Amino acid sequence: MIAVTRRTFSVGALVAGTLAIPAISRAQGKPRLVVIGGGPAGATVAKYVAKDSKGAIDVTLVEPLKTFVTCFHSNLYLGDYRTWDSIGHDYALERYGVKQVHQMAKAIDREKKQVALADGTRLDYDRLVVAPGIDLNFDSVPGWSEAAAEAMPHAWKPGPQTQLLKKQLDALEDGATIVMIAPPNPYRCPPGPYERVSCMAHVLKGKGHKKSRIVVIDPKEKFSKQALFQEGWQTHYPGMVEWQDPQMHGGVKEVDPDAMTVTTDFETIQAKLVNVIPAQMAGRIARDAGLVDETGFCPIEAADMKSKKDPNIYVLGDAAIAGAMPKSAFAANSQAKVVAMMVRGELTGSRTFPARYANTCWSIIAPEDTVKVGGRYEAKDGKIAEVEGFVSKLKESPELRRQTTDENMGWYQGIVADVFS
Amino acid sequence: MTPRRAIAVVVAVVGIVSAVVATTVAVGLVTTMPAATARAQEVATSGIGATPAALPAGDRELGEYLSSECVTCHQLSGRYDGIPPIVGWPEETFVEILGEYRAKKRENPVMRSIAVKFTDEEIAALAAYFGSLRPRID
Repeated sequence: MIAVTRRTFSVGALVAGTLAIPAISRAQGKPRLVVIGGGPAGATVAKYVAKDSKGAIDVTLVEPLKTFVTCFHSNLYLGDYRTWDSIGHDYALERYGVKQVHQMAKAIDREKKQVALADGTRLDYDRLVVAPGIDLNFDSVPGWSEAAAEAMPHAWKPGPQTQLLKKQLDALEDGATIVMIAPPNPYRCPPGPYERVSCMAHVLKGKGHKKSRIVVIDPKEKFSKQALFQEGWQTHYPGMVEWQDPQMHGGVKEVDPDAMTVTTDFETIQAKLVNVIPAQMAGRIARDAGLVDETGFCPIEAADMKSKKDPNIYVLGDAAIAGAMPKSAFAANSQAKVVAMMVRGELTGSRTFPARYANTCWSIIAPEDTVKVGGRYEAKDGKIAEVEGFVSKLKESPELRRQTTDENMGWYQGIVADVFS
Repeated sequence: MTPRRAIAVVVAVVGIVSAVVATTVAVGLVTTMPAATARAQEVATSGIGATPAALPAGDRELGEYLSSECVTCHQLSGRYDGIPPIVGWPEETFVEILGEYRAKKRENPVMRSIAVKFTDEEIAALAAYFGSLRPRID
């Protein structure tokens, strides 16, 4: 069995063109998997590899946070549907044998197959999973910056930014103008900006606002679940939301975080709250390691999520270019199960099956009014392609929308149990 | 009510009626499991003769592997938070219901999309695996 595993490994190394490296430094011990990033992608891989290999693979999860706040359902916190504490989760993965290192991974040495941590420690790996999520491009909106995000928050990575946006939202008085600058494709959570608009509108409506409005300046011609959102805004928040496509605003010329203004090609809007959701790219460590292409995200093999740049590395979740799959927690969790299977196949010779991916994204529009979009996906002609898809329909019954709301809340409990415990 | 009908009703109810009703029925299912179902579970969890003789035996190990997709939504503990629990069902019921989603006789598009890719063997495997688990409601 060991001989088979070694041969498999050597073949991998040969294919990789890394035969010169003493690849079997693990010969005395167990094969080692290092996972960078403890979100729904990385934590799921770590858990399933450790659990299903029953100790045969040494699994280390590198994630600085001890309590992970989920980006998914953080809009529900903004909208008063959830508490802050309910979207934070501690890890309980030791039971499966996952070793957790609460540090930032600083760099990947692909030649030596090592990950350097913030404190200088180096972790050797036989296979590496890179799941750092996204970084924000602070230069993508003129006048905006990381410093400006203290006045005009992005709240697109959960944490203090989310709480800052909530504080600003709750402080608004009637007659306020909110401007959201929506992101260009591709970005984390395609329906997310529009669900956020719905959640902000819900808070304003709940406080009895009659004159406040939300203006969305969008660089895109269309967006996810557009007809459903627009129908919902008309039904629940008539006259409150104004969505502008590029034809209508002509582009963002500048934002001024001191004056709280947003200037487009056509007008300058004086706002009380500006939410800038900028362009995005794969997390820094993936970029520094040369795992990205010209898009700023990581190309992968559709059949197994293996990096096209390095056969010892898998990239999944928001950092990866996953074809038709959106950047979502559900997608990341689904990809993670494929990766866990493939890693075990490579390192211990366990059975593997053709990759099957799935996704569903739920979006809350108003209390008991939730819509969803999703599908299943397979590797086809080198790309992850949608094999079957579905989306909620316009004018669905309140009963169905209520059921979808329950499903959304149930999914959240399900996925966090699956990822973190 | 037979166990099969009880579960069919749960799924149907969750499909069309409000959460309050669904919760009541679902909780009813997992806490007041009919005696026949409880016996089937004991047989299944004992690891001997894990399936009734009339059914083709599902490959529990394959089922455990395939189950990773299901547990993104359906909690292994059998807990109900808005998505119906699927642990501890009689295998034939599980096979029947998942088969109906695959045949698009049941409505939920998420479940249709999930079910359509499973073969008979895989559905039987999932039924064997989930059927072997007991709800763990804290």
